[in-house]
Amino acid sequence: MASSSSSTETGVVAERRGIPGAQFVEDVQTYLNQSGLDVNSALAFLQESNDVPVPVLLDRLQQYKVVEMKLLAQQRDLQAKIPDIEKCLDVVATLQAKKGTGEALITDFEVSEGIYSRARIEDTDSVCLWLGANVMLEYSCEEATALLQKNLDNAKASLEVLVADLQFLRDQVTITQVTIARVYNWDVHQRRVRQAAGVAIES
Amino acid sequence: MQQQQQQGQSGGSEMEVTWEDQQNINKFGRLNNRLHELEDEIKIAKESNDNLEDAGNELILTDEDVVRFQIGEVFAHVPKDEVETRIEQMKEATSQNLEKLEEEKESIIAQMAELKKILYGKFKDSINLEEE
Repeated sequence: MASSSSSTETGVVAERRGIPGAQFVEDVQTYLNQSGLDVNSALAFLQESNDVPVPVLLDRLQQYKVVEMKLLAQQRDLQAKIPDIEKCLDVVATLQAKKGTGEALITDFEVSEGIYSRARIEDTDSVCLWLGANVMLEYSCEEATALLQKNLDNAKASLEVLVADLQFLRDQVTITQVTIARVYNWDVHQRRVRQAAGVAIES
Repeated sequence: MQQQQQQGQSGGSEMEVTWEDQQNINKFGRLNNRLHELEDEIKIAKESNDNLEDAGNELILTDEDVVRFQIGEVFAHVPKDEVETRIEQMKEATSQNLEKLEEEKESIIAQMAELKKILYGKFKDSINLEEE
Protein backbone atom coordinates (compact mmCIF):
# COMPACT_ATOMS: atom_id res chain seq x y z
CA MET A 1 0.00 0.00 0.00
CA ALA A 2 2.76 2.31 -0.96
CA SER A 3 1.51 5.86 -0.99
CA SER A 4 2.03 6.78 -4.57
CA SER A 5 0.49 10.23 -4.62
CA SER A 6 2.56 13.25 -3.74
CA SER A 7 2.12 14.98 -0.47
CA THR A 8 0.93 18.32 -1.79
CA GLU A 9 -2.54 19.33 -0.68
CA THR A 10 -4.43 20.78 -3.61
CA GLY A 11 -5.05 24.54 -3.70
CA VAL A 12 -8.10 25.25 -1.59
CA VAL A 13 -9.46 28.62 -0.56
CA ALA A 14 -7.87 29.09 2.85
CA GLU A 15 -10.86 30.79 4.34
CA ARG A 16 -13.81 32.87 3.32
CA ARG A 17 -15.14 35.71 5.44
CA GLY A 18 -14.07 34.08 8.62
CA ILE A 19 -15.00 30.51 7.69
CA PRO A 20 -11.85 28.34 7.76
CA GLY A 21 -11.36 26.28 4.65
CA ALA A 22 -11.18 22.53 4.96
CA GLN A 23 -7.87 21.13 3.83
CA PHE A 24 -8.29 18.53 1.13
CA VAL A 25 -6.24 15.44 1.88
CA GLU A 26 -4.61 13.71 -1.06
CA ASP A 27 -3.19 10.86 0.94
CA VAL A 28 -4.15 9.85 4.43
CA GLN A 29 -0.74 8.55 5.47
CA THR A 30 0.97 11.78 4.51
CA TYR A 31 -1.70 13.86 6.18
CA LEU A 32 -1.23 12.03 9.45
CA ASN A 33 2.55 12.26 9.22
CA GLN A 34 2.49 15.95 8.44
CA SER A 35 0.11 16.92 11.17
CA GLY A 36 1.86 14.62 13.59
CA LEU A 37 -1.41 13.28 14.89
CA ASP A 38 -2.34 9.70 15.44
CA VAL A 39 -5.64 8.47 14.12
CA ASN A 40 -7.73 9.15 17.17
CA SER A 41 -6.50 12.68 17.63
CA ALA A 42 -7.07 13.41 13.96
CA LEU A 43 -10.64 12.14 14.22
CA ALA A 44 -11.18 14.17 17.35
CA PHE A 45 -9.87 17.30 15.72
CA LEU A 46 -12.08 16.85 12.70
CA GLN A 47 -15.18 15.47 14.25
CA GLU A 48 -15.88 16.11 17.85
CA SER A 49 -14.15 15.53 21.05
CA ASN A 50 -15.57 14.42 24.35
CA ASP A 51 -12.66 15.37 26.52
CA VAL A 52 -11.61 18.78 25.36
CA PRO A 53 -11.35 20.78 28.57
CA VAL A 54 -11.43 24.22 27.00
CA PRO A 55 -14.93 25.10 25.75
CA VAL A 56 -13.45 27.50 23.18
CA LEU A 57 -11.83 24.62 21.27
CA LEU A 58 -14.85 23.37 19.33
CA ASP A 59 -13.77 20.94 16.72
CA ARG A 60 -13.96 21.42 13.02
CA LEU A 61 -17.31 19.90 12.19
CA GLN A 62 -18.98 21.49 15.19
CA GLN A 63 -17.43 24.83 14.35
CA TYR A 64 -18.90 24.59 10.90
CA LYS A 65 -22.30 23.71 12.33
CA VAL A 66 -22.26 26.77 14.58
CA VAL A 67 -21.42 29.05 11.69
CA GLU A 68 -24.08 27.40 9.56
CA MET A 69 -26.78 28.05 12.17
CA LYS A 70 -25.76 31.71 12.27
CA LEU A 71 -25.81 32.09 8.50
CA LEU A 72 -29.17 30.33 8.18
CA ALA A 73 -30.68 32.70 10.76
CA GLN A 74 -29.35 35.70 8.84
CA GLN A 75 -30.75 34.27 5.64
CA ARG A 76 -34.19 33.84 7.20
CA ASP A 77 -34.16 37.45 8.37
CA LEU A 78 -33.27 38.75 4.94
CA GLN A 79 -35.84 36.56 3.27
CA ALA A 80 -38.50 38.06 5.52
CA LYS A 81 -37.30 41.62 5.01
CA ILE A 82 -37.36 41.58 1.22
CA PRO A 83 -41.12 41.03 0.73
CA ASP A 84 -41.73 43.77 3.34
CA ILE A 85 -39.73 46.29 1.36
CA GLU A 86 -41.49 45.25 -1.83
CA LYS A 87 -44.86 45.81 -0.18
CA CYS A 88 -43.80 49.31 0.89
CA LEU A 89 -42.70 50.10 -2.64
CA ASP A 90 -46.08 48.95 -3.84
CA VAL A 91 -47.93 51.30 -1.50
CA VAL A 92 -45.81 54.31 -2.44
CA ALA A 93 -46.31 53.53 -6.12
CA THR A 94 -50.08 53.34 -5.59
CA LEU A 95 -50.08 56.70 -3.79
CA GLN A 96 -48.11 58.25 -6.59
CA ALA A 97 -50.48 56.86 -9.18
CA LYS A 98 -53.48 58.25 -7.31
CA LYS A 99 -51.84 61.67 -7.14
CA GLY A 100 -52.56 62.32 -10.78
CA THR A 101 -56.27 61.53 -10.59
CA GLY A 102 -57.18 63.92 -7.79
CA GLU A 103 -59.40 61.44 -6.00
CA ALA A 104 -58.72 60.36 -2.49
CA LEU A 105 -57.70 56.81 -1.71
CA ILE A 106 -60.01 55.04 0.69
CA THR A 107 -58.45 52.18 2.57
CA ASP A 108 -59.30 49.84 5.40
CA PHE A 109 -56.48 49.35 7.80
CA GLU A 110 -55.90 47.38 10.94
CA VAL A 111 -56.21 49.35 14.16
CA SER A 112 -55.71 46.38 16.36
CA GLU A 113 -55.98 42.67 15.88
CA GLY A 114 -59.28 41.94 14.17
CA ILE A 115 -60.36 45.60 14.28
CA TYR A 116 -60.22 47.62 11.10
CA SER A 117 -61.00 51.21 10.36
CA ARG A 118 -61.52 53.23 7.22
CA ALA A 119 -59.08 55.95 6.21
CA ARG A 120 -59.30 58.55 3.51
CA ILE A 121 -55.95 59.49 2.08
CA GLU A 122 -55.99 62.75 0.18
CA ASP A 123 -53.53 63.71 -2.49
CA THR A 124 -50.18 63.90 -0.94
CA ASP A 125 -46.67 64.64 -2.01
CA SER A 126 -44.90 63.08 0.88
CA VAL A 127 -44.84 59.87 2.86
CA CYS A 128 -43.27 58.98 6.15
CA LEU A 129 -40.89 56.07 6.29
CA TRP A 130 -40.11 54.07 9.40
CA LEU A 131 -36.34 53.83 9.58
CA GLY A 132 -36.13 51.68 12.66
CA ALA A 133 -34.90 52.59 16.15
CA ASN A 134 -38.08 54.59 16.81
CA VAL A 135 -37.24 57.00 14.02
CA MET A 136 -39.63 58.02 11.29
CA LEU A 137 -38.79 60.51 8.57
CA GLU A 138 -40.93 62.30 6.04
CA TYR A 139 -39.90 61.98 2.42
CA SER A 140 -41.30 63.11 -0.89
CA CYS A 141 -42.77 60.25 -2.90
CA GLU A 142 -39.83 60.18 -5.28
CA GLU A 143 -37.25 60.20 -2.52
CA ALA A 144 -39.16 57.49 -0.70
CA THR A 145 -39.24 55.30 -3.79
CA ALA A 146 -35.51 55.84 -4.32
CA LEU A 147 -34.69 55.00 -0.70
CA LEU A 148 -36.86 51.91 -0.64
CA GLN A 149 -35.43 50.70 -3.93
CA LYS A 150 -31.91 51.16 -2.61
CA ASN A 151 -32.75 49.18 0.52
CA LEU A 152 -34.28 46.45 -1.59
CA ASP A 153 -31.19 46.22 -3.81
CA ASN A 154 -28.89 46.09 -0.80
CA ALA A 155 -30.95 43.38 0.83
CA LYS A 156 -30.95 41.29 -2.34
CA ALA A 157 -27.17 41.72 -2.75
CA SER A 158 -26.56 40.70 0.87
CA LEU A 159 -28.74 37.66 0.37
CA GLU A 160 -26.69 36.61 -2.64
CA VAL A 161 -23.43 36.91 -0.73
CA LEU A 162 -24.98 34.96 2.13
CA VAL A 163 -26.10 32.16 -0.15
CA ALA A 164 -22.59 31.93 -1.63
CA ASP A 165 -21.15 31.78 1.90
CA LEU A 166 -23.52 28.97 2.79
CA GLN A 167 -22.52 27.02 -0.30
CA PHE A 168 -18.85 27.44 0.55
CA LEU A 169 -19.56 26.32 4.09
CA ARG A 170 -21.44 23.22 2.99
CA ASP A 171 -18.58 22.28 0.69
CA GLN A 172 -16.15 22.52 3.60
CA VAL A 173 -18.46 20.36 5.70
CA THR A 174 -18.60 17.74 2.94
CA ILE A 175 -14.82 17.74 2.55
CA THR A 176 -14.39 17.34 6.29
CA GLN A 177 -16.88 14.47 6.48
CA VAL A 178 -15.17 12.67 3.60
CA THR A 179 -11.80 13.18 5.28
CA ILE A 180 -13.17 11.74 8.52
CA ALA A 181 -14.46 8.69 6.68
CA ARG A 182 -11.14 8.20 4.90
CA VAL A 183 -9.04 8.52 8.04
CA TYR A 184 -11.31 6.01 9.72
CA ASN A 185 -11.16 3.59 6.78
CA TRP A 186 -7.42 3.94 6.61
CA ASP A 187 -7.19 3.06 10.26
CA VAL A 188 -9.39 -0.02 9.84
CA HIS A 189 -7.26 -1.05 6.88
CA GLN A 190 -4.08 -0.58 8.91
CA ARG A 191 -5.41 -2.73 11.73
CA ARG A 192 -6.34 -5.49 9.31
CA VAL A 193 -2.90 -5.41 7.74
CA ARG A 194 -1.26 -5.51 11.14
CA GLN A 195 -3.48 -8.35 12.24
CA ALA A 196 -2.71 -10.32 9.13
CA ALA A 197 1.00 -9.64 9.63
CA GLY A 198 0.71 -10.70 13.27
CA VAL A 199 -1.01 -13.95 12.33
CA ALA A 200 1.61 -14.63 9.67
CA ILE A 201 4.44 -14.21 12.20
CA GLU A 202 2.78 -16.47 14.73
CA SER A 203 2.03 -19.30 12.37
CA MET B 1 -27.60 19.62 9.28
CA GLN B 2 -26.34 16.13 8.82
CA GLN B 3 -25.56 15.02 5.33
CA GLN B 4 -28.20 12.48 4.51
CA GLN B 5 -26.30 11.05 1.64
CA GLN B 6 -22.61 10.75 1.05
CA GLN B 7 -20.67 8.63 3.49
CA GLY B 8 -17.70 6.37 2.96
CA GLN B 9 -18.56 3.02 4.39
CA SER B 10 -16.03 1.28 6.55
CA GLY B 11 -15.16 -1.36 3.99
CA GLY B 12 -11.61 -1.06 5.20
CA SER B 13 -10.34 -0.72 1.67
CA GLU B 14 -7.80 1.85 0.67
CA MET B 15 -9.95 4.15 -1.43
CA GLU B 16 -8.12 6.91 -3.23
CA VAL B 17 -10.11 10.13 -3.38
CA THR B 18 -8.79 12.71 -5.78
CA TRP B 19 -9.48 16.42 -5.68
CA GLU B 20 -11.70 15.97 -8.71
CA ASP B 21 -13.74 13.35 -6.89
CA GLN B 22 -14.07 15.65 -3.91
CA GLN B 23 -15.27 18.43 -6.17
CA ASN B 24 -17.85 16.12 -7.72
CA ILE B 25 -19.08 15.11 -4.29
CA ASN B 26 -19.29 18.77 -3.26
CA LYS B 27 -21.17 19.64 -6.40
CA PHE B 28 -23.62 16.82 -5.80
CA GLY B 29 -24.24 18.04 -2.27
CA ARG B 30 -24.82 21.59 -3.46
CA LEU B 31 -27.20 20.46 -6.20
CA ASN B 32 -29.13 18.35 -3.75
CA ASN B 33 -29.57 21.27 -1.36
CA ARG B 34 -30.69 23.51 -4.21
CA LEU B 35 -33.16 20.82 -5.27
CA HIS B 36 -34.83 20.80 -1.85
CA GLU B 37 -35.00 24.60 -1.81
CA LEU B 38 -36.52 24.55 -5.29
CA GLU B 39 -39.16 22.04 -4.27
CA ASP B 40 -40.23 24.32 -1.43
CA GLU B 41 -40.28 27.35 -3.71
CA ILE B 42 -42.32 25.49 -6.31
CA LYS B 43 -44.85 24.51 -3.66
CA ILE B 44 -45.22 28.13 -2.56
CA ALA B 45 -45.54 29.34 -6.15
CA LYS B 46 -48.24 26.75 -6.88
CA GLU B 47 -50.20 27.78 -3.78
CA SER B 48 -49.91 31.41 -4.78
CA ASN B 49 -51.19 30.57 -8.25
CA ASP B 50 -54.16 28.71 -6.80
CA ASN B 51 -54.99 31.61 -4.51
CA LEU B 52 -54.94 34.04 -7.41
CA GLU B 53 -57.22 31.71 -9.38
CA ASP B 54 -59.68 31.59 -6.50
CA ALA B 55 -59.51 35.36 -6.11
CA GLY B 56 -60.23 35.81 -9.81
CA ASN B 57 -63.23 33.52 -9.58
CA GLU B 58 -64.60 35.26 -6.49
CA LEU B 59 -64.23 38.54 -8.31
CA ILE B 60 -66.41 37.36 -11.16
CA LEU B 61 -69.08 36.21 -8.73
CA THR B 62 -69.23 39.42 -6.71
CA ASP B 63 -71.53 42.22 -7.75
CA GLU B 64 -69.91 45.02 -5.88
CA ASP B 65 -68.14 47.70 -7.84
CA VAL B 66 -65.49 48.43 -5.34
CA VAL B 67 -63.25 45.71 -4.04
CA ARG B 68 -60.93 45.93 -1.09
CA PHE B 69 -57.58 44.99 -2.57
CA GLN B 70 -54.65 44.37 -0.28
CA ILE B 71 -51.69 46.62 -0.96
CA GLY B 72 -48.96 46.26 1.60
CA GLU B 73 -50.64 46.10 4.99
CA VAL B 74 -53.84 47.95 4.10
CA PHE B 75 -56.87 47.18 1.99
CA ALA B 76 -57.44 49.89 -0.57
CA HIS B 77 -60.82 50.43 -2.18
CA VAL B 78 -60.16 49.72 -5.80
CA PRO B 79 -62.63 49.56 -8.67
CA LYS B 80 -63.42 46.05 -9.81
CA ASP B 81 -61.84 46.43 -13.24
CA GLU B 82 -58.54 47.57 -11.87
CA VAL B 83 -58.53 44.63 -9.47
CA GLU B 84 -59.15 42.28 -12.34
CA THR B 85 -56.21 43.72 -14.24
CA ARG B 86 -53.96 43.50 -11.22
CA ILE B 87 -54.87 39.91 -10.55
CA GLU B 88 -54.21 39.02 -14.18
CA GLN B 89 -50.77 40.61 -13.96
CA MET B 90 -49.97 38.78 -10.74
CA LYS B 91 -51.09 35.49 -12.28
CA GLU B 92 -48.82 36.09 -15.29
CA ALA B 93 -45.85 36.82 -13.08
CA THR B 94 -46.46 33.81 -10.84
CA SER B 95 -46.85 31.33 -13.68
CA GLN B 96 -43.71 32.61 -15.39
CA ASN B 97 -41.85 32.23 -12.12
CA LEU B 98 -43.24 28.73 -11.70
CA GLU B 99 -42.10 27.76 -15.18
CA LYS B 100 -38.61 29.05 -14.49
CA LEU B 101 -38.44 27.07 -11.25
CA GLU B 102 -39.63 23.88 -12.88
CA GLU B 103 -36.99 24.27 -15.61
CA GLU B 104 -34.25 24.75 -13.06
CA LYS B 105 -35.48 21.67 -11.23
CA GLU B 106 -35.31 19.54 -14.40
CA SER B 107 -31.78 20.72 -15.11
CA ILE B 108 -30.62 19.95 -11.58
CA ILE B 109 -32.10 16.45 -11.64
CA ALA B 110 -30.28 15.78 -14.90
CA GLN B 111 -26.96 17.02 -13.52
CA MET B 112 -27.38 14.95 -10.39
CA ALA B 113 -28.04 11.81 -12.45
CA GLU B 114 -24.80 12.47 -14.37
CA LEU B 115 -22.80 12.90 -11.18
CA LYS B 116 -24.34 9.77 -9.67
CA LYS B 117 -23.15 7.75 -12.64
CA ILE B 118 -19.61 9.11 -12.34
CA LEU B 119 -19.36 8.70 -8.57
CA TYR B 120 -20.92 5.26 -8.40
CA GLY B 121 -18.63 4.26 -11.25
CA LYS B 122 -15.57 5.18 -9.24
CA PHE B 123 -16.63 4.32 -5.70
CA LYS B 124 -19.27 1.64 -6.21
CA ASP B 125 -20.33 0.57 -2.74
CA SER B 126 -18.16 2.94 -0.79
CA ILE B 127 -20.49 5.83 -1.40
CA ASN B 128 -24.18 6.30 -0.80
CA LEU B 129 -25.95 8.99 -2.81
CA GLU B 130 -29.57 8.18 -2.12
CA GLU B 131 -32.11 10.10 -0.09
CA GLU B 132 -32.90 8.35 3.13
